[in-house]
Amino acid sequence: MTDPLIALIAGILIIGFLSYIFWPNFGLSDKLKRWTQDTERVQIEDALKHLYDCEYRNISCTINSIAGNLSINADRAAKLVSRLEALGLLAIQGEVLQLTAQGRSYALRIIRVHRLWERYLADETSTKELDWHDIAEKQEHLFTPEQADKLAAQIGNPVYDPHGDPIPSSKGDLPTKKGKPLNEMLPGEFANIIHIEDEPPAIYSQILAQGLYPGMQIRVLEVSDKRIKFEANGEECVLSPIIAKNITVGIIQLEKQVEGKYKVLSSLKVGEKGTVLGIAKALRGQQRRRLMDLGIVPGTEIEAQLESLNRDPVAYKVRGAVIAIRKQQADRIYLESKESEKG
Amino acid sequence: MNNHNVNREAILAAANNLRWEVGENLHDTLMESIYENATAIARKAVIYPDKKPAFSFDRTLDKILTSKYFGFPLMLLILGAVFWVTIEGANIPSGLIASLLVDTLHPLLKNFTNSFMPWWLSGVLIDGAYLAMAWVVSVMLPPMAIFFPVYTLLEDFGYLPRVAFNMDPLYKKVGAHGKQALTMAMGFGCNAAGIVATRVIDSPREKLIAIITNNFSLCNGRWPTQILISTIFIGGIAPAYLTGLVSAAAVVFVAILGITFSLVVSWILSKTILRGEASAFSLELPPYRPPRILQTLYTSLIDRTIFVLWRAVIFAVPAGMVIWLAANITIDGVSIANHFINWANPFALIFGLNGVILLAYIIAIPANEIVIPTVLMLTVANLGLSSVGAGSGVMFELDSVADTASILHAGGWTLLTGINLMLFSLLHNPCSTTIYTIYKETKSVKWTLISTLLPIAMGFSVTFFVTQIWRLVVGS
Amino acid sequence: MSNNALSNCADCPVHNLGNLKKLGVNMSNFDFAIALAGNPNTGKSTVFNYLTGLKQHTGNWPGKTVTRAEGGFEFNGKRFKLVDLPGTYSLLSTSTDEEIARDFILFGQPDVTVIVVDATRIERNLNLVIQILEITDRAIVCLNLMDEAKRNGIQIDDRILSKELGIPVIPTAARQGEGMTELTKMIFDVASGNFICKPHRIKSSSKELNAAIDVLIKEISAEFPNLPNTRWVALRLLEGDQSIIDAIRSGELGNIKGINTIEQSQLVIS
Repeated sequence: MTDPLIALIAGILIIGFLSYIFWPNFGLSDKLKRWTQDTERVQIEDALKHLYDCEYRNISCTINSIAGNLSINADRAAKLVSRLEALGLLAIQGEVLQLTAQGRSYALRIIRVHRLWERYLADETSTKELDWHDIAEKQEHLFTPEQADKLAAQIGNPVYDPHGDPIPSSKGDLPTKKGKPLNEMLPGEFANIIHIEDEPPAIYSQILAQGLYPGMQIRVLEVSDKRIKFEANGEECVLSPIIAKNITVGIIQLEKQVEGKYKVLSSLKVGEKGTVLGIAKALRGQQRRRLMDLGIVPGTEIEAQLESLNRDPVAYKVRGAVIAIRKQQADRIYLESKESEKG
Repeated sequence: MNNHNVNREAILAAANNLRWEVGENLHDTLMESIYENATAIARKAVIYPDKKPAFSFDRTLDKILTSKYFGFPLMLLILGAVFWVTIEGANIPSGLIASLLVDTLHPLLKNFTNSFMPWWLSGVLIDGAYLAMAWVVSVMLPPMAIFFPVYTLLEDFGYLPRVAFNMDPLYKKVGAHGKQALTMAMGFGCNAAGIVATRVIDSPREKLIAIITNNFSLCNGRWPTQILISTIFIGGIAPAYLTGLVSAAAVVFVAILGITFSLVVSWILSKTILRGEASAFSLELPPYRPPRILQTLYTSLIDRTIFVLWRAVIFAVPAGMVIWLAANITIDGVSIANHFINWANPFALIFGLNGVILLAYIIAIPANEIVIPTVLMLTVANLGLSSVGAGSGVMFELDSVADTASILHAGGWTLLTGINLMLFSLLHNPCSTTIYTIYKETKSVKWTLISTLLPIAMGFSVTFFVTQIWRLVVGS
Repeated sequence: MSNNALSNCADCPVHNLGNLKKLGVNMSNFDFAIALAGNPNTGKSTVFNYLTGLKQHTGNWPGKTVTRAEGGFEFNGKRFKLVDLPGTYSLLSTSTDEEIARDFILFGQPDVTVIVVDATRIERNLNLVIQILEITDRAIVCLNLMDEAKRNGIQIDDRILSKELGIPVIPTAARQGEGMTELTKMIFDVASGNFICKPHRIKSSSKELNAAIDVLIKEISAEFPNLPNTRWVALRLLEGDQSIIDAIRSGELGNIKGINTIEQSQLVIS
């Protein structure tokens, strides 16, 4: 029999070695996989995407902007552009870079995968919002159009991504751009957020930190060169114009005006009742559908009934049934703010 | 036909354009309309009582069962009581069945077949197939006939959703779905059933976590192993009047260890290959319904006990034949079984197991239920204890736990071997049915492989460390 | 309506059940296909077991039945095949169990869909009833757990409910076997066309939605004139439902016909 101490040390070493190789994402085998990936195709596809984005937003695109967008040097960008031209994806007219029909449809294919993936991550998985873009960036280069169609079918053929961008159809159709940037609104106007640009990440995370998301209703209070003040979900937000520029809004004529401050479902104590006002747009996809299926729609009476450890989850009485909901969701269900009655 | 295609594509294109117009609120609008209609109809047709009754049985019971202070202790108490009842209650009938099937019937059959069959045919059929079946029936039928109805009563009463409610904070912390508690509870019955039940989980990420970790719920095929080994080795060191309690406590401990492993593995998975946070959880807590005892007894006997037993028998019969052949076909004067056992022994000893256990787990891949019978059969064959059995590869008389114990002790088993077998029984590859079910549910070779290999890798690691640390502390 | 004899029958011996023959798993040569739908935990499996004589396990937790179970029974000389669909809260989400239930009701074209409703949670259950009535005309509400409702002091006027929904409503307590005779008779009546349903349809107040639906209805009915549930198909298209898109593309939708055109139902389950 071997000495147990030696056996233990050997065992730990073997496990350490194996996890060094096979640990997901950080292990040697996954790193090797990443190194051997086709970097040229990835760059071509990223460049096409950037070019298409410029075209959609009606701004001009240059070798420099490509270099900036892909974070490569200008030399490399110039080479990339000539490669794109050689492939028949791009036409160069002087300084202006223009996508060919073939290039456009290639770009749309990549964008379709990217936005579908973001939608999928947002609706079906519980991936962190800040990770969506990065995962989609990787997947867009790996998916074939057939796989994209399959993914789309699986998640109910969405037409918008979670940032409010339209998803190209499998034939490459896209609706015309609507809305205007938030910083061009006038005080007193009501609007719906229809899109939040997720790049650059620094600005995106600031917008997220304010709790803003597409579909949210806002009312502009004050616009100046230094700041834009507006009300969203009953709370005041202040953004600098540089950040506000990344939010696209659609002006709306209000049908019903929501007044006063909201209360959230999670604030109910056991025995207290409330009336549902709405579910925050941040609850998406299947989560949202499930809550509505269970009868949590505007006007529903709801009563807190049971608490578990740390008050998470809490069971509520909804339309005769007792439903347990985690705090994370209960925080995003709004109640009418009238005084809660004792049950 | 072509014209049709054009029309149909036009419909789809029109729909797509309208969807961009209508936007994403369609579903909300629709659901609101439906519930408006539903409320209007209900208002006309239903009258609710003005006043709530002063005392509601459901609410009071819920308050107790999901209470902050009593919720968890009550869960453990109920789990422990179920095992205690099973262990205490199964002892006597087990002995009775064994004495009938093994002591009485086996010699009769043996004599009868010997009169007209060649020795090897009667060996394969009676000493192999029949004895394996008899063993499975006597070891498994009594505990299952107690465990399943009791479990089903709890299920029909409505206790499982409350367990899920109590456990949800833990599952949330490890990034898993709260309904994983439900599928885990189903796994205590049968892992394959637990894996089918993961369909109640919407999020694909959390469904995969639930599938991979379901194997950490001890299934009915493994309960008898746990119960028997803990009675012999752990109950055995306690005073006689405490044996039942201590054994039940040991089994509860292993079950809780399994739950802990499932939580830890869920956490690791949701930090690595299945990254993400816990998603939404909405679970209806249905009203308690008084279980109809007689019907439950009947259905759980038919549905679960007989079904599971039948499955075990089907797998035990060929396994019994394989064991008999392996113990009787010799190369260089040594049986195939002994060749493997002797070859595997040094390797197995590192993990505190032995060659017999490893061979038993290979033979028992089709069904966990036959691990213990196989272990005993192989131990006897390996030791050549002809005084106990009626020759190589013959399962012997077993009318009491004490006999099993003496066999195992004779085979060189120690408390450490017992503990490691219990751990290995918790942590090893799922049975073939479960593996197939995992493949059907995930439709992915990769996830099937991960769910199969991960537990066995963990099993070897855990038994290895337990053994070596044990030897370091206690000395071998 | 057929509310006639429930109260008398609660304590009388099974007077009419001589007609009911439980066929277990024997479903050969059936005359009618019956689907059993409903919310989880409403006693669907109990109703199923009662009619077929099978012993499907029933557990008291939502999502117990995740697959389809089938069985048969015979009544008044006709053979019925009964399909127990997974319990769902809705048919509009995209999970497997809901797809199984939805596809069977739509493409399987059962002769009757029995919707088992929990009498103590009517509003929530009506959500599913209203959705099913958009898909199929021939449905019966089995208002189950009446005993629990009574215990909780909930009074339900099943005649008003039936009038509002436009389909028969049969109060039952399946665990005690109450009302099951009436249910079987009504299944027979609706299946054989003795009872014609005029189901409730969703009234939506959203102008936007109604306008979009109208546009699509026009296009769909031009291509599939016999479709009995055009409005619902339009709605599903607006929600991007893949199996409806596929059914339009392949023309399978054309196989779905209104009640008057059905001779013998053929089960085509995708």
